Amino acid sequence: MTSTPKKLAEYAAMLGIWVGLLVMFGLLSQNFLTGATFSSLANRIPSLAVVATGMTLVLIIGGIDLSVGSVLGLCGSVMGVALVNAHLPCWVATLLALGIGLVAGTLNGVISVFFRIPSFIVTLGMLEIARGLAYLSTNSQTKYIGSPVEPMSAPIPGLGISPAFLMALFVIICSQVALSRTVFGRHLVAIGTNEEAVRLAGINPKPAKIAVFALLGLLSGLGGVFHTSRLGSSDPNAGMGLELSAIAAVVIGGTSLMGGRGSVVRTFFGVLIIATLEAGLAQVGASEPTKRVITGIVIVGAVILDAWRHNLNARGFRSLGKRTNP
Amino acid sequence: MENPAPLLQVKGLVKSYNVPVLVDFDFSLRPGEVHALVGSNGAGKSTFARILSGLTLPDGGSMQILGRPYSPRSKREAEDAGVTMVLQELNVIGTLSVAENIFLNCLPRTAGFIRYHVLHEATRRALDRVGLAHVSPSTPASALGMGQQQLVEIAGILARNSRLIILDEPTAALTDPEIEQLFANIRRLQSEGVGIIYISHRMDEIQRIADRITVMRDGRMVATHTATDVIPSQLIREMVGHDLTERNPLDAGPTGGWALQVENLTSADVLHQVSFGVRHGEILGIAGLIGSGRTETLRAIFGADAKDGGEIIVNGQQATINNPQDALRAGIGLVPEDRKHQGLLLPQSILINTTLSTIPGHANRFGWMDSSAEAATTKDFCDRLEVRCSSSGQPVRELSGGNQQKVVIARWLARDCGILLFDEPTRGIDAAAKDTIHQLLRDLAGQSKALVVVSSELLELMAVCDRILVLSRGRITAEFTPSTWTQEKVTQAAFAGYLDTRESKQTT
Amino acid sequence: MKNRFSTNLTPLLASALLMGALALMNGGCSKAPDQPEPKAAPGKPRVALIMKSLANEFFSTMAEGAKKHQSTNSASYELVVNGIKNETDLGEQVNLVEQMIAQRVSAIVIAPADSKALVTVLKRAKIAGILVVNIDNKLDAGVLKQADLNIPFVGPDNRAGARKVGEALAKQLKAGDKVTIIEGIPTAFNGQQRRLGFEDAVKKAGLTLVGVQSGRWEMEAASNVAAAMLSEHADLKAILCANDSMALGTVSAIQAAGKTGKVLVAGFDNISALQPLLQKGQVVATADQHGDQLAVFGIEAALKILKGESAPADQTTVVDLITK
Repeated sequence: MTSTPKKLAEYAAMLGIWVGLLVMFGLLSQNFLTGATFSSLANRIPSLAVVATGMTLVLIIGGIDLSVGSVLGLCGSVMGVALVNAHLPCWVATLLALGIGLVAGTLNGVISVFFRIPSFIVTLGMLEIARGLAYLSTNSQTKYIGSPVEPMSAPIPGLGISPAFLMALFVIICSQVALSRTVFGRHLVAIGTNEEAVRLAGINPKPAKIAVFALLGLLSGLGGVFHTSRLGSSDPNAGMGLELSAIAAVVIGGTSLMGGRGSVVRTFFGVLIIATLEAGLAQVGASEPTKRVITGIVIVGAVILDAWRHNLNARGFRSLGKRTNP
Repeated sequence: MENPAPLLQVKGLVKSYNVPVLVDFDFSLRPGEVHALVGSNGAGKSTFARILSGLTLPDGGSMQILGRPYSPRSKREAEDAGVTMVLQELNVIGTLSVAENIFLNCLPRTAGFIRYHVLHEATRRALDRVGLAHVSPSTPASALGMGQQQLVEIAGILARNSRLIILDEPTAALTDPEIEQLFANIRRLQSEGVGIIYISHRMDEIQRIADRITVMRDGRMVATHTATDVIPSQLIREMVGHDLTERNPLDAGPTGGWALQVENLTSADVLHQVSFGVRHGEILGIAGLIGSGRTETLRAIFGADAKDGGEIIVNGQQATINNPQDALRAGIGLVPEDRKHQGLLLPQSILINTTLSTIPGHANRFGWMDSSAEAATTKDFCDRLEVRCSSSGQPVRELSGGNQQKVVIARWLARDCGILLFDEPTRGIDAAAKDTIHQLLRDLAGQSKALVVVSSELLELMAVCDRILVLSRGRITAEFTPSTWTQEKVTQAAFAGYLDTRESKQTT
Repeated sequence: MKNRFSTNLTPLLASALLMGALALMNGGCSKAPDQPEPKAAPGKPRVALIMKSLANEFFSTMAEGAKKHQSTNSASYELVVNGIKNETDLGEQVNLVEQMIAQRVSAIVIAPADSKALVTVLKRAKIAGILVVNIDNKLDAGVLKQADLNIPFVGPDNRAGARKVGEALAKQLKAGDKVTIIEGIPTAFNGQQRRLGFEDAVKKAGLTLVGVQSGRWEMEAASNVAAAMLSEHADLKAILCANDSMALGTVSAIQAAGKTGKVLVAGFDNISALQPLLQKGQVVATADQHGDQLAVFGIEAALKILKGESAPADQTTVVDLITK
């Protein structure tokens, strides 16, 4: 368990990178450091933020989920069909979307745990299945929904941020607390570190493993709802490539792909960094190829920085251990 | 073909890792001879084999092959000199064909293309030499049985013109007909003048196949016999040496009732009808050779592996244990053999490792962890077991082996397990820490816990246990108390399962 | 290492040889140039329609139109419709063309995912005696000339269409007003044409173009780009989007920025989801290329040529301006 000051120092490091980006774009563009920019940043990140939050937990147990983007697209599509074609009330459509996300995630978890198939493969299958179902359900058509769903992602007057953003924040805080303060979180960290040792300690790792995939499915559904409400339409192509953005955000946040280590709050900083980078590069008018090159460099750079910092910490600890343990 | 010049001549070989493992070791092998090497666990047989095959460098001494100095620095150099070892774990790649396996590092090729007709022709000749003429060179190796795979490996060795072959427990995984086939091949190799060093626990096989038998103990050559002149009981006496004076540290024997009774524990091919009991306050030792079913017994009791039959009775009541959770509910804890991979979460803190089995106990009913209670528990047990650490937040990876072991033990004590199963509790731990662990085991027994301890070190068992059971080939072959045990008797019982029935009657 | 390399090489080489052999066979069959109709099913010609992403509404409508046309004319030809998964997955479209060559269809009507990269495989089709008609996205003229290939094009003039949309939007603005363009994937010919058309209109009306960015044809990407443009240029008056999905995304960004009504939006394609926004005036104009008819025009042109009528020169289809 990381001590509180150390944790705060880690958050500060992430915050530093983010502020660095803000300053850089602020220097490059006069209109970057404005309320409008922050408001639009806050409104664009909720879907990525909730998906990356769930992805953090999955990576902590040493798994991976490649289907999040497709599941998000499917949930958004189903929501659109429910509202536009079936004329269901908005809350029913929302619940339907969340339910489908939950089912998809649970399937991922159950199949990978009970058939002992690596989650990489199971979710690769789900990636195709969910995208296919998204096209099937919408007949490959974008559905315009408009006012029924828009309020969720519209900025609250005077506040500049949307209910969706507040909900995403709430999800992040709850997940971080669950990770560091609950039995569930402890199980995740332990399973990700050494599943066999956990089993021999008398803990059944299966329920927690399934639950974490189910949770990510649910959060992908929520991401789909956010996405649909922000665009006012449901788009069967939504979330293409989102899995990679989510994994990038999680990795920038210092979560290990090997499992056993990670933090949801730091993932949120990762999301902020990615979104800021995207917004800033668009605002200074960078071309599409330049954007991609710079984004790639930032992802790898952030991870190198994290590995380097982690090594320093470990070395510090080791010498401490030697002193006290002759 | 009697040849006066020895194929291999070893003089004064020395090797030590912290402790000496080979001391002034002498050995010789004649062409066409099968020379068996016997000794108990840790006698130095494997080290000698590793030095011969170029995997380890000796600290001193000389080796000669056919009169020329021989000092291989790599497996490749050893093979070039005609020396090859067949490991217990086979080196066969299942997805490749038999031919490709045999000639993997010297495939005949033209401009990168394998010349299959040449390869297959050579393979047929090689297979013919080991009696596998009926096997097609293009068969995938995985389609063959264990015994045939071993023969394929031997065929590969012969194809590279080996003069000296080391077989390390070659029959461990073989069925009886496969063993017969192996022996037939050994005879054939003998007639071709190949020298064979045969390492095995199995006395009956050694008596059948060996020309000479060398006994090793504590890294020394004790005696070399002509196989026909010696009986197993004498070999065993030599492996053990003269009896050491054993101390019995216990003032009073255990008085409690049965804590754990195991009846007819059976697991296919590994355990056969194993039954025993252990009382509160008692330390029961289980001795046996590696692979005799010691670890499997503990894991089966704990529910870590599935078992095929048998009952487990805890405090007089039948317990159904199908997985480790069940074992935990019954108050049984296991300190596994491989502490780093099965016992600990290495990068995590001492605290997380200590409370791993008591997570619900440190949480309220809504699933919230009580971190101050966790810290208190961790501190309590770290103090009681004297874990040396900088703080309870220190990753266990940074602790010494002895302290790591204490953390695993602390986990079960925190859970208040009444029955503790220890698999090699002092493996890889230095001598001073070993003593601490031994003292800890006695203390735990003093708190009327029931302990089962598996160890390869007989002296360790004799130092801490109230009773010792001996497992041999998955069966209990003897039970000793401090007044009846001697190293020789225990070792004899450990080999009992590997003797043929007539022999074992003679020796018990 | 060396032997592993050679082991892996063997199947590769074998398959290369096999493919070479197949290619030779194909070439051998097509040695009779007088026979423009290779052994297709007796009687009816088979026409293969190869689309871009069928997940895109525009192309799915196009495919629907073609299928409807075939069902009313089922006596005169057979139709095979195929699409790729992802608009930018050129490799897969090339595979589709090769499959169709292997199946010996009579004609291929294709909406190429790339204006240049498909030319090679289409040449192979032509050599195999298959008629090729290009629809929607025009193949690059230079590359066609280089390959010594003549493929008739049936499709809309994207540049003219975009110019019409731009002009309709410009009517509501005055000279000097700031506008931006959100283009599609920069490598696509139709995307380039639309951008040029928008730029023509902007120049003609004397508007100030302050930025061009790619929205990769996607709704969310466009929304993010639009949000950045809005905060960078506080006095932005209009955003021209190279397709309607991106227009939808742009509208949501404008709403989030609280600038509904202050920034005009134009799109292209006239997809059904855009209708309500046109009604509300949140999108000023879009263009309809009559996608459902586009493939039909291509198929009809192909059938005509198959019947032996002389190949018409490139044929431009109508693009209508839609403002409400």
